[in-house]
Amino acid sequence: MSAASVSQSGSYRSTSGLDVRALQFAYDGAPVLSDIDLQVAEGEFLCLLGPSGCGKTTLLRLLAGLDLPAAGTISYNGSLIQGPSLERGVVFQNYSLFPWFTLAENIELALSKSHPQHDATWRRNHARDYLTRVGLADSVGQYPSLLSGGMQQRGAIARALALGSPVLLMDEPFGALDPINRAKLQDLLLELWVNSRRTVVFVTHDVEEALYLSDRVVILASSPGRIIQEIAVPFERPRSRRLFGSREFIELSEHINELFREDVLQRIEADSLPALVKG
Amino acid sequence: MASFGSQSNPAVTSTLSTAAQPYGVDAAKSKSSNISWLKALRLQGKEGLLFIAGVILIWQLISSFSHFSGKYLFPSPLLTAQTLWTSLPELLIGTVYSFLILVPSLALAISIGIVWGLIVGITPALNRMFSPFARFASPVPPTIYIPYAIALLPTFHAAAGFVVFIGVFWPVFLNTANGAGALPQHYRDNARILGLAKFEYLRRVAFPATLPQIFSGISVGLVFAFIMLTVAELFGASKGLGRFVQFYADYADYPRMVAGILYTGVVVWISMEVLERIKKRSLFWLM
Repeated sequence: MSAASVSQSGSYRSTSGLDVRALQFAYDGAPVLSDIDLQVAEGEFLCLLGPSGCGKTTLLRLLAGLDLPAAGTISYNGSLIQGPSLERGVVFQNYSLFPWFTLAENIELALSKSHPQHDATWRRNHARDYLTRVGLADSVGQYPSLLSGGMQQRGAIARALALGSPVLLMDEPFGALDPINRAKLQDLLLELWVNSRRTVVFVTHDVEEALYLSDRVVILASSPGRIIQEIAVPFERPRSRRLFGSREFIELSEHINELFREDVLQRIEADSLPALVKG
Repeated sequence: MASFGSQSNPAVTSTLSTAAQPYGVDAAKSKSSNISWLKALRLQGKEGLLFIAGVILIWQLISSFSHFSGKYLFPSPLLTAQTLWTSLPELLIGTVYSFLILVPSLALAISIGIVWGLIVGITPALNRMFSPFARFASPVPPTIYIPYAIALLPTFHAAAGFVVFIGVFWPVFLNTANGAGALPQHYRDNARILGLAKFEYLRRVAFPATLPQIFSGISVGLVFAFIMLTVAELFGASKGLGRFVQFYADYADYPRMVAGILYTGVVVWISMEVLERIKKRSLFWLM
């Protein structure tokens, strides 16, 4: 990252929110993401939607600073992302909590980093507060392995809230849950988001989930991962699940599914072409 | 090494002892008092007891049929038990002497092995620096150091302590370093998300996450500790478990010698059981 590219980016871009420019990422020489340009406004709920293998998790890791781009820049509020930061909390699919700590201890660990000036009593009280907000008041002293997947993800969300990050990065956080728990947690997340107006980047492969939750859906296609379309979600908030039956919703999801089908077809053709030539 | 490690796998043995009960539910209930001490001894049902009874029977038969001075060279179970009882005071004093060497060395080797293993495991540069040496030095059978340690160090106590340390350090260090070096990426990711400093990562993440491997290292190390200790005591101790056996072997008092062997076996077994309990308690989260 040269100093020139930083100042150049600052000169013609808005400096608020997340800003991804000409991003490239490769793994063992194979391109995973290419030419990603993406802006996420402060307070926006954005979904990264794509089939598995399209690099959406990789993009989230890059936004978190867990990996660094091969080329291009990612900045937050004008400054380059060069590693993880408390500004950007992450919720992983199913392993955000340390299994040897109780729920409370996990949250207290996060609080000790986000609020180093406070003492242990303060941390204990606030850990309880955060766990109460996600509906886990009765499980404060439990170890994660004794909790259901849904409760573990509630705990993971509480930890992200405790970090106090203005940006929340979520990697298919409800992907391993049953439909009922998934719906409950989606509503909990929306409620928390409405109350705190954090910026959320949410990775999913579920079209319905993306349209229900987000302000804007960014659709990725695979090999290499690239953005093929951005859709501003037109539905009024607060949204209800009755939305799923509306014509507009069905048309929009059908449109997105069509994009995925084309992508799959292209991949199959690309894969089978050499074999056909040989045969 | 692998065979020592597999001797104590709580996950495997505990599932066996609960799943392999041949009785029905009602039978299990009525025999619950029996089963609780069977479980405490980790005898998996009746078969374990039957086997031990068989061994004692064969032992009795052999000792009663061996007429040629066999009474002394091959004492009967009863004679051994009687000798064990009368030698108990001497054996207990020997245990104290042995443990005065064993416990400090064990504690030192385990602490240094864990700390250095964690640091080497999570620091690639240190790993590259130290592992060639470790590959060369760790396979040396620690018994080979005993004569030199006795010659080199001022007291027998120090020499025996040193070889016990070597015997325990390597398995603990190697297991810890391997475990810490191969932690699942998500532990590291989470620590980075939380902004944990290196020492915090070591203490609050790498150490608990590596505990399963640390305990397999300690299990192997504990067995080695007893081997090193008793072998060292054969060379030059004034008192101790190994010394007891060697002393009465020199005077051809084989009943006492066999009693000493049996007693040592029990001490090692109890030590392993204590370690097993600590392990189960520490790894409660691995469910």
